[in-house]
Amino acid sequence: MELFDNLLLGLSTALQFNNLLYCLIGVVIGTAIGVLPGIGPIPTVALLLPFTFGLPPESALIMLAGIFYGAQYGGSTTAILVNVPGETSSVVTCLDGHAMARQGRAGPALAIAAVSSFFAGTVATIVIALLSLPLAALALKFTAVEYFSLLVLGLLAAVILAHGSVSKSLAMVFLGLLLGTIGIDVNSGAARMTFGIPALSDGLDFVPVAMGMFGLAEIIANLERNEVRQVVSQKLRDLVPTRADLKAAFPAMLRGTAIGSALGVLPGGGAALPPFTAYALEKKIARDPQRFGKGAIEGVAGPEAANNAGAQTSFIPLLTLGIPANALMALMIGALMMQGIQPGPQVMTEQPALVWGVIASMWTGNLMLLIINLPLVGLWVSMLKIPYRLLFPAIVLFCCIGTYGISNSVFNVWLMLGCAVVGYFFIKVGVEPAPLLLGLVLGPQLEENFRRAMQLSDGDPSVFLTRPISAVLLAVVAVLLLAMLSPAVLRKRTEALAE
Amino acid sequence: MPHFDMSQLRPAGRRLDWPDLLFGVFLIALSAGAFAATSRLSGGSAADMGPGYMPRAIALILLGFGLFFAGRSLARGHAGIERVQARPMLGIAVAVGAFALLIEDAGLVAASFSAVLLAAAASRQSRLFEVILFGLCVTAGAVLLFVKALALPVPIWPWSI
Repeated sequence: MELFDNLLLGLSTALQFNNLLYCLIGVVIGTAIGVLPGIGPIPTVALLLPFTFGLPPESALIMLAGIFYGAQYGGSTTAILVNVPGETSSVVTCLDGHAMARQGRAGPALAIAAVSSFFAGTVATIVIALLSLPLAALALKFTAVEYFSLLVLGLLAAVILAHGSVSKSLAMVFLGLLLGTIGIDVNSGAARMTFGIPALSDGLDFVPVAMGMFGLAEIIANLERNEVRQVVSQKLRDLVPTRADLKAAFPAMLRGTAIGSALGVLPGGGAALPPFTAYALEKKIARDPQRFGKGAIEGVAGPEAANNAGAQTSFIPLLTLGIPANALMALMIGALMMQGIQPGPQVMTEQPALVWGVIASMWTGNLMLLIINLPLVGLWVSMLKIPYRLLFPAIVLFCCIGTYGISNSVFNVWLMLGCAVVGYFFIKVGVEPAPLLLGLVLGPQLEENFRRAMQLSDGDPSVFLTRPISAVLLAVVAVLLLAMLSPAVLRKRTEALAE
Repeated sequence: MPHFDMSQLRPAGRRLDWPDLLFGVFLIALSAGAFAATSRLSGGSAADMGPGYMPRAIALILLGFGLFFAGRSLARGHAGIERVQARPMLGIAVAVGAFALLIEDAGLVAASFSAVLLAAAASRQSRLFEVILFGLCVTAGAVLLFVKALALPVPIWPWSI
């Protein structure tokens, strides 16, 4: 059985002492940052990328993945106790989780959230393992033509599932693609839009872009809001849910896991869509939908499971096809590239220890989260009490040192500052920066494959339609585009993504 | 997540969709810049693209988007923009700028401490004494973490350059 061999290989990588340690560091840092409202997982991962340069690729990716799902986990703690979602994906957890907390049932809410996440994470790990092999086999048949179509699909799907206006998100993708063309053109050696700055010859570094747009811009916007937070203080001793709680939560957990696993694989999925969909489903099939928003435990179990399952299955396109499903996975691609690994379908066959090690580490990481989270919930609560006025200057400083440290480049610090200003502008005019980051990361690959495909076909664009796999991918793009233009779908999407 | 609180919208004089208009103008300006910056690169043909082909093609699409948003903003009803506050923006920008200017010429300690102090100025809730104390702690932490533990090659003091 190839699958078992692979999982065994993965486990032997993930269970190495070093990797267990990096996984632990990752999930602890991730949870700590996820608990703190005010900085999301994207700037966190960007911030910590430089720390992983010295590590071997497996350890680096395991740690970054740990940060990512740790942050998902931490976000729900904040959502339940403070009613402030640490990030988008825990928005729905606020609804019933915080209601439970106000009724003095924060303990069971946290416990159910943790157990649901762990269960979903375990199932998702198996899903990843099962889906990876056939997908990777398919991907090996890809030439520049298919790869281009796949990249188009990935970028478009990301737009559809993003928040906010579709047309603005599309514009942001192209903006990212334009920024991606900055640098020396590989084919001709000509400098493009580098304005004579040597630091730009390798292209725009996406870490300062991500930190500026996602980290600093968000801090500025947070400071304008001046929110008052109230931590629900209560005894967390009674963590154990009642039998009735478990009975209500278990089926919701199963449904949430299924929804999350399916939606997470979609490009652009992973963050917002699975928990929202799971919540909507729970509310729809509940015998008494009135209870929702007032502390229904299914409203915590379902979305939390979906959230975690989606977070993990969103690794599938990355690991098998080399295509990031969302902005966070784009950072993971960046981490791979910085390790000297060219992302793409070949990674799976060339670096089996890396891919399967990361997959197996997701399970060990989830186990660690379960163990460290429930007993340490008091610690996380005390972290919640650190005032934002102290938190944000420290985050600003770490962003500065982080971007500078990537290549000891002062230019990157200025670039981050510029991106912070632009990111603040984006917040003000109501556009999402995530599609831009995807465009920036995928741009060079898209251009390279497009040029190669056109060269092979002698400039005839019909090659994208005459090759079967490419034609299917583009047909999906066309269907999605048409669906997007239909008012009924637009309305549904607004409902599904409404906060 | 950008949160738009409708109650905070500033009543603007003209009936324009301001977010759309500004975003549209931004895109138009950007694509114009891209055209100017790539004007001397060869475009080539579709079968053999030159370095200028893709940037200009993308810039053209962006120009289209820019015109679309700008045009739509005139046709659609009024939408304002959440009030822009100078203090958070300036505080963070000056903090990052100071760090960039100081890090290589004055060392990590000076750069870190001033970045924390200036960033704190972005919030009205910061208290001077607390920030100074906290800044010293964070600076010490940064030196220990980045220079001692992670061996980032950066001078600590101005005189160690």
